[in-house]
Amino acid sequence: MNELIKIKDLGFDYGEGWVFHKLNLVIAEGDFVAVIGANGAGKSTLLKMLANVIVPTAGSIEYAGVPISKFTEWEKIGYVPQNPARQQRNFPISVREVVSLGLMRGNRLLQRLNCEEKQLLEETLERFKLVELQHRKIGELSGGQQQRVFLARAMVKRPKILLLDEPATGVDTSAKVGLYAMLKYINREHGTTIIMVSHDLELAADTAKNALCLDHGICFWGDVHAALKHHHKHGYFYR
Amino acid sequence: MLEMLEMEFMQRAWLAGLIMAIICPLIGSFLVLRRQSLIGDGLGHIAFAGVAGGALFNYSPVLSAAVATIIGALAIEVVRVKLADAAEMVLAIFFYTGMALAVIFTSMNKDGGFNLGSVLFGSLMTVSSSDLYIVAFLGLCTIIFVILFYRPLQYITFDEVSAKVAGLPVEKLNMLLAILTALTIALSMRIVGLLLVSAMMVIPVACALQTARSFSGTILQSICYGVIAVSLGLTLSYYANLAPGGTIVLMNTCFFGLSLLLGKKKTGQGAPPDKCCCCEEEEAKGED
Repeated sequence: MNELIKIKDLGFDYGEGWVFHKLNLVIAEGDFVAVIGANGAGKSTLLKMLANVIVPTAGSIEYAGVPISKFTEWEKIGYVPQNPARQQRNFPISVREVVSLGLMRGNRLLQRLNCEEKQLLEETLERFKLVELQHRKIGELSGGQQQRVFLARAMVKRPKILLLDEPATGVDTSAKVGLYAMLKYINREHGTTIIMVSHDLELAADTAKNALCLDHGICFWGDVHAALKHHHKHGYFYR
Repeated sequence: MLEMLEMEFMQRAWLAGLIMAIICPLIGSFLVLRRQSLIGDGLGHIAFAGVAGGALFNYSPVLSAAVATIIGALAIEVVRVKLADAAEMVLAIFFYTGMALAVIFTSMNKDGGFNLGSVLFGSLMTVSSSDLYIVAFLGLCTIIFVILFYRPLQYITFDEVSAKVAGLPVEKLNMLLAILTALTIALSMRIVGLLLVSAMMVIPVACALQTARSFSGTILQSICYGVIAVSLGLTLSYYANLAPGGTIVLMNTCFFGLSLLLGKKKTGQGAPPDKCCCCEEEEAKGED
C-alpha cells in the first residue's frame, strides 16, 4: 500500500498545555482509521488539522509527500464536520442544494455546474437513495438521513480521502448500523481512505482496519482491536 | 394609482424604493442566515457617526458614511473571526461605539450641517436624480456580485468550515460581503433612513423563511415580499399622507404575520426510505 498521509511530530496547544504532542503516524492508501479516545483528548482537533481548518502548533502533515501548507488538491478530500445540521435546523436549504455544494472548488468559484458535474450529482443522489428527499429541507430529515446527506456531499466529487468527525452523533441505533455499513462499503468498493473520529467503539471495531487511540497525551496506533483494548485498559468501556 | 405615478418625484421614489426592495433582501438573506440580522443596525449607527463626522469636517455625508461603514464592517468581520463565540457581543460594542462617536461629533458641531430626521428616517419622497443613479449603480453591483458568487456565498453561509476545507477563499468572500453590506446601508440612508434600512434587510427574509424550502427559494421569495411591501407601502403613504419609510416597514411586518400563518399550513411529504443502496448491499453480503 502507498503512503498517503504522513504525520510527523505533530502537536497542538490551545494555550493551556499540549492537547497531544509528538504524534507520528503513516496512513496508507485505502486504510480505514478510527480515531478514538476520551473527550478533550484532541480527536476532533487532529481531524481539523488534517482538514487544514486549524494549523498545528508543532510538527507537520503531508498528503502524498506534499506538505499540507502547499497542498492544493482539496477536491480529493471529503470532510464531514461534527453535527453539521444540528445548528442549522431551520436553515432553508434543500437536500439537492446541500449535495451540490460538495462539487464546489476553490479554483472554480464563478463557474456553474457543468454536464459532468450534474451527472455526478444525479448519480450521488441515486446512490445514497436521496432522490425522493432531494427537494426536502435538510432540517426536516431525521439524524440518520441528515448524516447520509452530508456523507453524499463529501462523496459527490469522488474524494480519495474522507475525514469524518463523529458521523453517528445524534443518529439512532439502527441508523447508526446502516451508516457504518455504508462507510465500510465506501472504503472497500471505492478504495476511499477513511479517517473517522468515533465514540461507537463496538461499531468502529467492526468497521475500521486500524485505530489511533488518544488518551490525554498517550497515543496508541495500530490494529483496531489492539487499540480498543489499549483504550479499555485506560479506563474506558470496550468488550 | 396612475395619478400618483404622473408626478416626477413619485416616479423617483418608486424606482428607488423598488431597487432597495431588491438589494436589501438579496444581501439580507446571507446576513440573516449567518445569524447577523443585527449587523444592519450596528452599521447604521456607525454610518450615523460617519455622517456626523462628515458634517463636522465638511465632507459629503454620503461619502463619510460610506467610508465609516466600510471600515466598521471590515473591523466587525476581523473581530468576529477572532472571537467567533462572542459575535453578538462584538456587534453590540461596535453599535455603542458608533453611537458614542455620533453623539460626540454632533455635540462638537455648532453649525449643524445635516438633517438628523432625514438621516435616521430617510426621505423617499425627496430622492434626487443623483440619489437614484447612485442607488441604481449599487443595485447593479449587488446583483452582479450575488449572481457571480452565488454558490460560494451559499456554501460559506451554510457551512463555513466545510467551505474552507473545499479550498474556498472564505475570508475574502466574507470581506466582500461585509463591504457590500456597508455600502448598501450607507447609500440607502437617504431613501429609508439608517434606522429602517436594517428592517428592509431582515423582515422580507424572515417572511421567506416561513414559506421557502430551499436557499434559492428564500432569496427569490424575500425579494417578492420586499417588492410587494414597498409597492403597497408607497401607495398607502401617498394616499393616507403617512411617512413612507415607516409604512413600508409596517407592511413588511404585516407580511411576516401572514407568512407565519402560511408557513404553518405547509406539511411534510411522504415517509422517505431509511436505507441507501450501500447499506442494502452490505446487509445482503452479511446475510450470505
